[in-house]
Amino acid sequence: MKHDELDNLLRDTLKADVAASKSCILGMEDRVIMQLGERSPRLRWSQWLAQLAAPTRGVRLGQIAVVGATAAIFLFIGLALANRILPGNNSPGLSLQPVRSADGNQEVLFVMPALDAESVAVVGSFNAWEGTALSDLDGDGIWTASIPLSPGRYEYAFIIDGRWWGQDPLADDYIQSFGEYSSVRYIGRGGDGA
Amino acid sequence: MYRVQEEVSLLRASLQGDTGAWGEIINRYKDAVFGLCLGFMRNRADAEDVSHDAFIRAYVNLRRYDLERRFSTWLFTIAANLCRNQLRYRKNHPSTEQPLQIRGGTDPAQLVGAEDRQARIREALNKLPYSYRAPLVLRFYNELPYQEISEVLAIPEGTVKTRIHRGKAMLRDLFAEGA
Repeated sequence: MKHDELDNLLRDTLKADVAASKSCILGMEDRVIMQLGERSPRLRWSQWLAQLAAPTRGVRLGQIAVVGATAAIFLFIGLALANRILPGNNSPGLSLQPVRSADGNQEVLFVMPALDAESVAVVGSFNAWEGTALSDLDGDGIWTASIPLSPGRYEYAFIIDGRWWGQDPLADDYIQSFGEYSSVRYIGRGGDGA
Repeated sequence: MYRVQEEVSLLRASLQGDTGAWGEIINRYKDAVFGLCLGFMRNRADAEDVSHDAFIRAYVNLRRYDLERRFSTWLFTIAANLCRNQLRYRKNHPSTEQPLQIRGGTDPAQLVGAEDRQARIREALNKLPYSYRAPLVLRFYNELPYQEISEVLAIPEGTVKTRIHRGKAMLRDLFAEGA
């Protein structure tokens, strides 16, 4: 098949696929706007903080309550993790410091607090995004898995009851893609990750 | 130029919370975004969900959009990232829907030979790895230049050219095998 012939066939097929699926996009604008409801484009953090601090606008109790609730959630997670991983607790095998195994790999601990979850897995570049299950044997809502990794940079995210959770508080970095995040850990040279 | 200025006006109005203006933006881009998602995902239900989600996320995050950049590139980047995330999710949660097997045309007078060729190239596209399929869709459906494909997929322009070249070679082989 000639180059032009393949190009045209590909172009025509992709357009035909969309033409045959017109019912999917019919009225999409109405459905999106209905879902948006009264929402406005989200303010940037700096704009939001400026608005919060503006004396002419008075005290914004609702926003302050949101900040307080968020801080409380992070405090709870922090305490739960500290109870789980610090020396002297009931799980002496758990450590956020990677443990080097005989073959040069490092046992890296992945931890995710998910109190009411039924399943938690970690997917990442180290397992071809196929998913490694985390376990919570004592039912305290802290899910863990230890995975041997060779030195390198790894992107990953958690799947909590089928939902993508890309912001691991223990990550070294995050990759942002407009609302969707993946976490990044560096193992070995230049930083031992978690 | 008039159309670009009009688009900027619609985006400014959308930023002020005018959902009617955003509806006009959706109306202009829904074919392009849905076609991108359908080409990437090869699954009609997922493509519909992801394109819907892309317009929601673009609106909510509109303040992050730099008016100096091409809006379509920014919007396609959101859609492409959502497709990638959904495909990762699908690895663990396979869809019950069959991969795309749409008949090319609805006109009964259409040549059977042309339909057969489209069906074979469709099957070949279904088998092509995502990393090769995505640049081909952006090139041949969305008709983007290499530089914009590079921005949308966050890969170097040279890699885009290589993947399109190799992707076409793989498609040709799969087509010859009858996919």
